Order: sequence, then structure tokens, then C-alpha cells
Amino acid sequence: MISRRSVTLRHIGLWIGIFFALYPVVWIISASVNPVDNLAASRLIPEGLTLDNYRGLFDDPLVPFRDWLINSWKISLAGAIGNLALAALAAYSFSRLRFRGRRAGLLGLLLVQVFPQFLGFIAIFFTLQAIGEVAPGFGLDTHAGLLLVYLGGAIGFNTYLIKGFMDTVPISLDEAAKVDGASPALIFWRVILPLTRPVLGVIFIITFVGLYGELLLASVLLRSAENFTLAMGLQQFSLSEYAAKWGALSAAAILGSAPIVATFLVAQKQIVGGLTQGGVKG
Amino acid sequence: MAEIHFDGVGKIYPGGTRAITDVSFEIHDGEFVVLVGPSGCGKSTLLRMVAGLEEITEGEIRIGDRVVNDVPPKDRDIAMVFQNYALYPHMTVYDNMAFGLKLRKFSKDEIERRVQEAARVLEITEYLQRKPKALSGGQRQRVAMGRAIVREPSAFLMDEPLSNLDAKLRVQMRSELGLLHARLKTTTMYVTHDQVEAMTLGDRVAVIRKGVLQQVDAPQELYKNPANLFVAGFIGSPAMNFIGGSVSGGHFDYGAGKLPVTRDIAAGSGRVVAGIRPEHFFVPEGELHPDQGMEAEVGLVEQLGSDALVHFEIDVAPVLTPDIRELLEDAGEDASSLGEKTKMVARVDPLAAPRPGDRMVLGVESDKMHFFSEDTGEVI
Repeated sequence: MISRRSVTLRHIGLWIGIFFALYPVVWIISASVNPVDNLAASRLIPEGLTLDNYRGLFDDPLVPFRDWLINSWKISLAGAIGNLALAALAAYSFSRLRFRGRRAGLLGLLLVQVFPQFLGFIAIFFTLQAIGEVAPGFGLDTHAGLLLVYLGGAIGFNTYLIKGFMDTVPISLDEAAKVDGASPALIFWRVILPLTRPVLGVIFIITFVGLYGELLLASVLLRSAENFTLAMGLQQFSLSEYAAKWGALSAAAILGSAPIVATFLVAQKQIVGGLTQGGVKG
Repeated sequence: MAEIHFDGVGKIYPGGTRAITDVSFEIHDGEFVVLVGPSGCGKSTLLRMVAGLEEITEGEIRIGDRVVNDVPPKDRDIAMVFQNYALYPHMTVYDNMAFGLKLRKFSKDEIERRVQEAARVLEITEYLQRKPKALSGGQRQRVAMGRAIVREPSAFLMDEPLSNLDAKLRVQMRSELGLLHARLKTTTMYVTHDQVEAMTLGDRVAVIRKGVLQQVDAPQELYKNPANLFVAGFIGSPAMNFIGGSVSGGHFDYGAGKLPVTRDIAAGSGRVVAGIRPEHFFVPEGELHPDQGMEAEVGLVEQLGSDALVHFEIDVAPVLTPDIRELLEDAGEDASSLGEKTKMVARVDPLAAPRPGDRMVLGVESDKMHFFSEDTGEVI
């Protein structure tokens, strides 16, 4: 039996933890609706309520905040979908087909993941520059170019994850489908893909969130303000005169992170399910 | 409906391992043929070669008049039932059964008709909207059968379909399978390692050992006239008893005694192995001359109600040919732990059964003994 005192102590510990986790969040929310727009004068409990900070973000002709939001969504969505498609196809091949170089390919994928991506920044930069001379649509300072780099980036890890999951799908299902009359492509679409949905959901979300917050590559490859992603824009914010506009910065941060939080809340179950489901065959 | 012909069929895996050697026989139209053999003997491989899931590296397989060596599985007009059922977990029972028909572009009405009909026959109509995980083992088995039936293929291929069921359900499904075949009369190739299944289901049974076909025959024929020692020992439960010795002067001399040989067996046959089925022993009513039976030291006696199994030992070292070693291994026994005496089993009248520890002469119906060459294992 746990004593009353120890329960109380535990609760106190819990509340301290909650306070630590939530304090900055509440602070930012409070600052974003605070009519007093500077750091020194802001307080946890604002003196009034206003949405001016939010409105201002979209009205300021010098700051294309709306573009940044759209850019980020566009790139993250396309990147996550593209990544998922490529990784799932690659995983299917590695899991089901036996071909020369399969082992080497798997090892290669793993090996490439070991090196941090920014080792290749200079190479990526020059590659895109070269591509841009032939196909300007995919060169530097284009979203398509950035997407290309993003697509390459996370495939290795994701392929590995999906392959591991696909390996737990019994091969006799493929064979049953084969006898039923399905081509390899149909087996992938109608049998394997639906069964790997949990892990695909997780990877989609993780990739989406990762790309949404990605700053380094984007700031190397994108130049013009209207092409910026939200992460880049916010960083510019903090370096510009906006740094003093604490309320606006807070509002921008909240608007930027809201979709991510929402996605997590909605997909929570799927994420946990997907991360654990691979372990046991149902 | 179609015959399946095997013509010098062989299989060598890319690594050089040989799985199947020169298999030639045919499954007649509408026939139920069971492939049986110890695990790893290649029977599943042979089935999968018919299905198109394994490449045929030697010889040819014909379904009907068509050589199918290079025909993809979907065009072979066969349906397969897998050991683990291989139901699509994300589809309902209905969709599982309809999947093959949809891929073959059947009309909605036709799919509906066939699935409903198969579900009715298999008594799974009420589960059609369930997912496989909400079904019991027996029900899943029925769905797997249903998926094969709706296609109305020219042949069914079944790969140990009952081995995942518990004993009681297996017996039940076994008789249902038999009834189903009697009704549909579709050519069926069935793989099992359970010889009881083989004997009860098959119109004919093919015994395979190490990728080589040993004998294809009707179950009774296989039981009565095995072509070699391996088949004799594999078919029948409890298994046939083996004892080594030699034949001379109208007698089989096994060291500790003699038994009369009624058949014409050349005296110069050298060392032979005699096989005696458990039911060919009997408990004599009076005293029996030792030459008409075997001196037995009775061990365990299992009363089964209808009859009794008497385990006994005779004072002769066990005979160990390669075939017998393999049979022992398949039964999970170790040849080295057999000891100095030959262990045997007799199936006798339960009322006349001796008691454990008795020493007695057990009668042998010597005209029903089988003789095999000790060198080749072939029947003499």
C-alpha cells in the first residue's frame, strides 16, 4: 500500500514536470495575444487580448508569411509522399525480390545513413547548380530542386524500416495472390501495401514533421524570400527587426507549429501502433 | 478438370542442392492423389512446382494437354490451399474469396453467385463480412478452401492444409474434405506428412523419399504390397515391425528362432529383412511351437478398447538398414539408443492381451510376412 504522503510527493513531482513542459508553451501563447509587443513588457498573464499579432503577419507587405506557410506545406507534403512512395517500392524489392546486388544494396543504404547529411552540402550545392544549368526548374533556389535533395535524404532509413515490417508479412500471402492471378505490382498494391499501412503512416508523419522543420538544407539551397520555407522565414524573423516584435514572432511560431501538433494528436494511435506492431505477427 | 502428368521431373536449387529426382507419374482426371513422406522429402516442392511457385529444372509437368513449365501460376488454372491458410488479413472473408475472381474480371453478379454458393457449401455464410482474425482455425481453413473452390479450377493443390488444426478438428475437416471431393470431383493433389490423412483421403497415395518417388498406389495396395522397406515402414500405424535374418529350407531364421516361409523365396537371397504388421501377431489359445511364433518379453500393454497394443522385445539385435534409420529419424527416435534387443509391437484381441512382464510365444501369421533385401530395401 502506498502511503498518502508518498502519493502527495509523487504528485508534486508530477506537477513540477508539467510546469516545466508547459511553461514555455503558455508563455508563447500568451505573448502572441498580448497587445504589448515587446519582450521586456510581456508577462505570463497578458494585460489584454488581441489577435493583431496574427493579423499583422498576413498584412505586412514586407514579410511574405503566407507564402512561407504555403511553401512549407507544399514541400513537406510532396516530400513526405514522394519519400514514402520511393521507400515503399524499394522496401518491397529488398523484401521480396532476389536479385544480384541485393545484399550490397542493403548494406550501402545503411552505410550512407551513417554519414550526416551536411557532409555533402557542398556537393549537393554544386550538383544543383549544375542541374540548374540544364534544367532550370530543378536548380538552386527552386522548390523542385530542394525536393529532389529531400527525397534522396531519408530514403535509406525509411526503406530499412518498411522492409523490416514487410518481412513480417508471410511470403505465402504473396504466393496466394500470385496463384489468385495477381502480378507483382498488384501484389504490392492490393496485399503488401495495405498490410504495411501502420508503418507507412508513421513514416509519413515523421518525414512530414522532419521536412517541415528542416532548416539547414533549405537555407543553403533557397535564396529568394518568396521561396523560403516557414522554418527559414522564422529564422529570418529572429535576425531582423522582427526580433523586437515579440508578439508577432510568437504568433508566427504558433501558426507554424499548429499543424504539426494537430497531426500528432490525430495520428497518435497510429504512431504508437505502427512503432510496435512490427514486433509481433497478429 | 484435367490430368496432371509428371514426366522425368527434377528440381535442383541454384546452390546445387537436389530436391526432386526424376519423378514420373500421373494424376488422373478427378482423382485425389496424396503425396506423403517424411519432412524435407520434397513433397511440398513437387506441389509448388505444379503451382508454378518453384521453377521446374528438369523434365516437364503437363496440366491437361499443356506443358506448364513456363506458364505463370495465374495461367495454370489451379487453386492452392496453403498450410497457414494465407488469407489476406485486411480483407473480409467475402473479399478473400472474391479476390481471385475480381482479378480475373468476373462480373459482380457471377462473383456474388460463386462466393455465396461456396459459402453455403462450407457453411461460412454468416462469417462473410468478418475479417480472418475474427475466425477460429477451423473457420479459417474453410475460408481457405472457399477461396480455392470459387475459382472452379481444373485442379486443387493442397499443402498440408490440416496440419495447423487441433487433432479433433483435423479429423472432422478430413472427412469434410473427403465429402467435398466426392461432390466436386476436381483433380486434387494433396501434400501431407500424416499417413493417416494420406490413407483415408487418397484415391491413390504417392510415397516420396529424399525427392524420389517410391510407390504410387491405392492405399490398400500400398499397405498390403509395399514396393520396398521404406514404404512398408512409413505406411501403417503402429509401424511395421522389422527383423533381420536369412531364408533357407523353407524357414526364415532370425537368430533367436525360426518362422515358416510359405512363399517361394530363393534360398540364396542372402540377408533379408522380414516385415510383420502388428495385426499379424496373435495370442495363441494353447501352447505354440516356438517355430510358429516368437519368444516375446512383454513390456507395455496399451488397451485401446477395440484392440490392445502389446509392446514386446525379442532377443535379437535390431536390424539397421539406411531405410530403417531414416524411418526412425522421422519418428523422432535415435538409432543409437535402440539397445541390444529388437522392440516390436503387436495388435491383439484386447481380451486375450498378455500382462506386462509376461514371457510367452506370440503367434505370427507367417504367410502375411513381407521380405525385403537388406542391401537394397526392395521387396523380394
